[in-house]
Amino acid sequence: MARASIKLLVLLGALLATAVLSLHVGGRADVGISQFFSLLSNSGERTLQELVMLDIRMPRTVVAILTGINLAIAGVILQAITRNALASPSILGINQGAALGMTLAVLLPSVFVVGVEAMAIIGALLAGTLTFGFSGGFRGSIRPLPLVLSGVAVGAFSFAMVRFTFTLDDEVARDVILWTTGDISGVRWHDTTALSLWAFGGILAAMLIAHKLNLLAMGEAAAQGVGADPRKTLLIGAVIAAGLTGVSVATAGPMAFVGLVVPHLCRIVVGADHRRLLPAAAVGGAVLLLFADGLSKLVVAPEEVPVGVIAALIGAPYFVYQALFSKELDL
Amino acid sequence: MSSVVSRGTRAPSLRLAIIFTTLVIAVAMSSLWGLSVGAFPLSFQVVINSLLDLDGPQQTYMVMVSRLPRLVLALLCGAALAISGVIIQGIVRNPLASPKIIGINSGAAFAVCLLLALLPQVALVHMPLIAALGGALAAFLVLVGAQFRGVSPLRLALVGVAVGMLFDSGVDFYLVANHSPEQAAPMVWLTGSLWARSWEHVDAVWALLCVLIIVGYGLTHQLDLIGLGDDMATSLGQRVALTRLLLLGIATLLASISVGVVGVLGFVGLMAPHMAAQLVGGRARVQLPCAALLGMLLVILADAVGRAIAPPIEVSAGVLTALFGAPFFVLLMLKNRGDLQQ
Repeated sequence: MARASIKLLVLLGALLATAVLSLHVGGRADVGISQFFSLLSNSGERTLQELVMLDIRMPRTVVAILTGINLAIAGVILQAITRNALASPSILGINQGAALGMTLAVLLPSVFVVGVEAMAIIGALLAGTLTFGFSGGFRGSIRPLPLVLSGVAVGAFSFAMVRFTFTLDDEVARDVILWTTGDISGVRWHDTTALSLWAFGGILAAMLIAHKLNLLAMGEAAAQGVGADPRKTLLIGAVIAAGLTGVSVATAGPMAFVGLVVPHLCRIVVGADHRRLLPAAAVGGAVLLLFADGLSKLVVAPEEVPVGVIAALIGAPYFVYQALFSKELDL
Repeated sequence: MSSVVSRGTRAPSLRLAIIFTTLVIAVAMSSLWGLSVGAFPLSFQVVINSLLDLDGPQQTYMVMVSRLPRLVLALLCGAALAISGVIIQGIVRNPLASPKIIGINSGAAFAVCLLLALLPQVALVHMPLIAALGGALAAFLVLVGAQFRGVSPLRLALVGVAVGMLFDSGVDFYLVANHSPEQAAPMVWLTGSLWARSWEHVDAVWALLCVLIIVGYGLTHQLDLIGLGDDMATSLGQRVALTRLLLLGIATLLASISVGVVGVLGFVGLMAPHMAAQLVGGRARVQLPCAALLGMLLVILADAVGRAIAPPIEVSAGVLTALFGAPFFVLLMLKNRGDLQQ
């Protein structure tokens, strides 16, 4: 038990440290973590620096935390229900599907009336279902390679559609690249509402089915043997994962690899029991994105790089490593 | 693994002649169409007058300076990508392999970005060389990685996808980290566009590409032998490792030089070889030229349709090839599912 609490302390310490980093650095060098504390103590007239902290830095940090939580939870669930170590929102094309849904909602609001977030979630669900179907998921076991290749194809198609739609609308090519790489530099407090609701609900729902996810990991037959209905778990899990991914993409753009890397690293630290893995991954996802956010403001200062690009630069080498050395893939 | 590419089947020569003639005519017709569409549509009459310097209405500047070089590049790069695809599918004996899947395209794009970031004023002639280096690096990483884990074609594809994503994230980083929009916006061609390509670009690559295409065609017999399997090829007197390296080198150079001038035109190197195999069978000596023609056709059409769809806006050719290529890839995968799941 002592070891478990040390791990928890380490995770929370990392969360605190990266949150401070994300709050402290930014375009204005005169705004730092001290403004955060002076905001807490000072209730009177606010200085310009304090307003920058309150209206620009803090919502951005909160979005980074929530997006990290959502994508990491989605990754854990996807890896559990596909029983596949490489499953994650970006590799399965779910991110890109959400981006497509959102693009359609933004550009053709009269046709797709359900709203941006709902369209992103629908796109995520659709892309996930397609990838799952193409890789033979409805007919039995899913092998890693077909899953990855289907995801690559579905993702490539959705992204081509996104770029196609945007080209038709205007000459905004660079903005499109910016958005599709996961840029959170423009977020404000009102962007955090839907994200936080989903993050809260997502963790709760995922914890409720954590035990079922554990059973699923033993194989569908074994799960059925102890009375769980694997298809129900699969369906619920897929909806949660798609919702979490969709709402994150709608706010922050598609971020690659967070949902792949975090569950893996957390599994190494806390083990494969989902009742522990889910909370650990939530904290881990927040840490990774906060760290990436801090870096994104530092690497080419005073310019900023979208946080998603930094996350991809951290995550892609890990994927290469995984492709090379993973024993679970038994290729 | 090579069930789609049934090597050794011989199509009757009359059928071959008809297929090749049709393809050549199709390439010629779509070239003509490609020269006539765009922000300022021209009639065929004007295009032909300008090309051949005949009497009558001419638009020499637009045809000869603005549209002809991109047509020439479309032809060259389409052929190069298709041939690269034929060779790669042949040597890794994997129907899903293509320059994109094994990471060459992304590596080349990344190298070009790196060069532009470090030396913004670099001369255009060095671009193909740098692209080739990047493509070769990616191919090297993928092959060494896959070799290291025991050569399973599946592992190869997986490592290729991963390495490709790695380089792609580097490309994204360059594109968005670039300070001035004026400097970054033209880089959009990296996503596969023939926009604003000029005779300078043609001059930089045509000789290299032509030599590589000819050498590639010269090695079709060796490619067929390797397709029979390593043991068989060895017993027929081939030095398999050496030949494979040579072929792979040519395929890498062809694909990455194209990326260096026109950006990433995804899936052309995958679609063209398969269509060719369907049409004329898998014997490399006929499949290769047929795939080359199909590659030309695909790229010309993608470029022309992109300009015709909503002038004056141009849709990148790379976007269109991906729109058609990705479903094609899925179909191919479903067809080969048995192979993949064994």
